[in-house]
Amino acid sequence: MTFRDEVASWLAEHLTGRFAPLVGTGGPGREHENVELRREWEKELATGRWIGIAWPREVGGRGCSIEEQVVFYEEYAKAGGPARINHLGEQLAGPTIIAFGTQEQKDRFLPGILAGTELWCQGYSEPNAGSDLAGVRTKASLVDGEWHVDGQKTWTSLAHLAHWCFVIARTDPSSSRHKGLSFLLVPMDQPGIEVRPIIQLTGTSEFNEVFFDDAVTASDNVVGEPGDGWKVAMGLLAFERGVSTLGQQVGFTREYADVVELARANGTFERYEAELVDAWASLQVLKHQALRTLNTDQATSNGVEANVNKLLWAPWHKKLGELAMKVSGSAAMLTDGELTPLQNLFLFTRSDTIYGGSSEIQRNVIAERLWKLPRDTWTAT
Amino acid sequence: MTEIDDLRSAVRDFLTDNAPVRSNLEDNPSTWKRLSSEMGLTSLPVEDAPLSWLAAVIEETGRVLLRQPYLPTVVAATALKAAGDEQHLAGLADGSLTAALALDGDLTQVPHGLEAGIVLVAKGDELWVCEETAVEPLETLDLTRPAARIQVSAGRHVGSALHARDLEHISYAAESVGAAQRVLELVVEHLLVRTQFGRPLGSFQALRHKVADLTVLLEAARSSTWYAAGEPEDFAVAAPLARALASEAFVTVTGEAIQLFGGIGFTWEHDAHLFFKRAWTTALATDSKALKKLAFDRSGA
Ligand SMILES: Cc1cc2nc3c(=O)[nH]c(=O)nc-3n(C[C@H](O)[C@H](O)[C@H](O)COP(=O)(O)OP(=O)(O)OC[C@H]3O[C@@H](n4cnc5c(N)ncnc54)[C@H](O)[C@@H]3O)c2cc1C
Repeated sequence: MTFRDEVASWLAEHLTGRFAPLVGTGGPGREHENVELRREWEKELATGRWIGIAWPREVGGRGCSIEEQVVFYEEYAKAGGPARINHLGEQLAGPTIIAFGTQEQKDRFLPGILAGTELWCQGYSEPNAGSDLAGVRTKASLVDGEWHVDGQKTWTSLAHLAHWCFVIARTDPSSSRHKGLSFLLVPMDQPGIEVRPIIQLTGTSEFNEVFFDDAVTASDNVVGEPGDGWKVAMGLLAFERGVSTLGQQVGFTREYADVVELARANGTFERYEAELVDAWASLQVLKHQALRTLNTDQATSNGVEANVNKLLWAPWHKKLGELAMKVSGSAAMLTDGELTPLQNLFLFTRSDTIYGGSSEIQRNVIAERLWKLPRDTWTAT
Repeated sequence: MTEIDDLRSAVRDFLTDNAPVRSNLEDNPSTWKRLSSEMGLTSLPVEDAPLSWLAAVIEETGRVLLRQPYLPTVVAATALKAAGDEQHLAGLADGSLTAALALDGDLTQVPHGLEAGIVLVAKGDELWVCEETAVEPLETLDLTRPAARIQVSAGRHVGSALHARDLEHISYAAESVGAAQRVLELVVEHLLVRTQFGRPLGSFQALRHKVADLTVLLEAARSSTWYAAGEPEDFAVAAPLARALASEAFVTVTGEAIQLFGGIGFTWEHDAHLFFKRAWTTALATDSKALKKLAFDRSGA
């Protein structure tokens, strides 16, 4: 049996019965859907060892090759697998701990992610530290063998569901900017943490403000050396190879097909043909770019593949949302309180060019890393 | 480093030394000789080199705006070989014979028509090998790609023109990517050394972001071109698509480049206009909207 068959048949056998309602649910803008059942689904995936497929075998992963990972994401998307409720654990927290963590940390934290029982959130952004992450003000200090954390994070996706948060905090009070930061793992269920939901422009809520008021975590729960938090936080980006992008594209392809189908059904295809064909062309490019990225190794990398990817897919996705609305016509603005999938596409994609490094920041990175253009520095006088 | 990277850098070295941009304002028969007999670049199609190698070489010829008819000659050889038509292969391979392409059937303005030993002509969707019976050179704004109005013999039917056209598409895509890449490099060099307001131009975010946007456009075109050059299953979709995207990128990059260079970019002395004009030769011969639609229809989307 090929790996593809193995994935497909496992999904066919398990994404049915009580999990059937999950097909096609969750994801950006729709994280509120079927939350409890998706938590169960994460545990179900664990029974098939489908969590951490990219992780090395030594830590309990499957050690899948890039090709296998691509196959997994493709089949998962084809089967309509629900958005993974612990992607922040599997994709960010886990790999960071694998790369920079101690053996004890690996033993403590990886099994919970692999079992689908411990969910994670990412505590980077703050009211005064967005694109400029080095401006974080959340503080932490070691007192009697425990880190005490004070400050505020914001836009923290899925914090209301998470058991743990990885937090960038300033542990050296005399430091500034990139120095003196630490990467702390903080349990969410404690009196010192308050999570307040923020309603998004979609009308739904999946990100939060998180207040730390003398929140505590064990002294061991720092990944890397205290003060090396910036390196740890950034280190992850280096591993980004765009594998999940290919899975993401299966979703994009489906969304695009829905828009074209609608245009053909309601007679607007001719009118929007040029835009629809352009959108199709760009969708092919996303695939070609992702494949090229996967075939690029350290030696041939230009260092900005991920940035180019983001600048290709995020604006494309946003435009697809707009096209979906145009194809639907005025009635696209009508609502019964629940967003239709097309309305959700339209509204949620406004965030695609903001999170995960805004488009402007991606352009800065390309200018600096690839072309070595000097920074645009402004000094207060 | 893979074989294709080695090939790329050998060709780049050769062309930088023997056919720098300015040298392509005039014909230079010795360049053709060295490129074919010394470097053996014209024999790649006959030696069954992968299409990706050919595309890599053509990309390099784009960087210097090579004047010699490398692109049409290797496209012709590849197409004839694929069609099982052997007659001209030896000549095309050793460079003693060059080709021109009239795959849109138009003989009134054929690139490299002046010197062509054979012409691949499409009549409808059928491909014919013809010989020139009359040639009238044309003056063109593009100083590095000569063109001619020609008449041809009845010729010999060799099969369908569809694959030959796709080969031409991927070749123009590769050339456009190579040329646009070179222009962007020149732009960045300029932005690093030219200072205004007491700082390098390249530190102004408006310009940094412009460069980044051009980079994305170009990288996208390159990804599609390399994908198509790998002769994937959907080559017939990927090739016209790559040409459409690459020619659009080429036009945009060269147009913006003149802006980024400022006054110097508007001079006859500077290379910017040579690239800009080549881009327009390519773009006007490329109905990118139609090619995208063709690809879309072929894909069954
Ligand atoms: C849906 C969603 C989910 C998110 N989830 C999380 C999460 O789970 N965890 C987390 O830590 N964060 C999360 N974020 C936060 C996200 O990372 C930030 O929103 C992002 O980094 C931008 O920061 P900001 O919102 O403070 O905007 P700002 O940094 O204030 O930017 C405002 C505008 O200015 C531009 N700008 C900023 N700096 C520059 C510059 N140097 N040059 C040019 N333009 C510039 C930006 O591009 C943007 O257009 C999420 C955001 C969204 C929208």
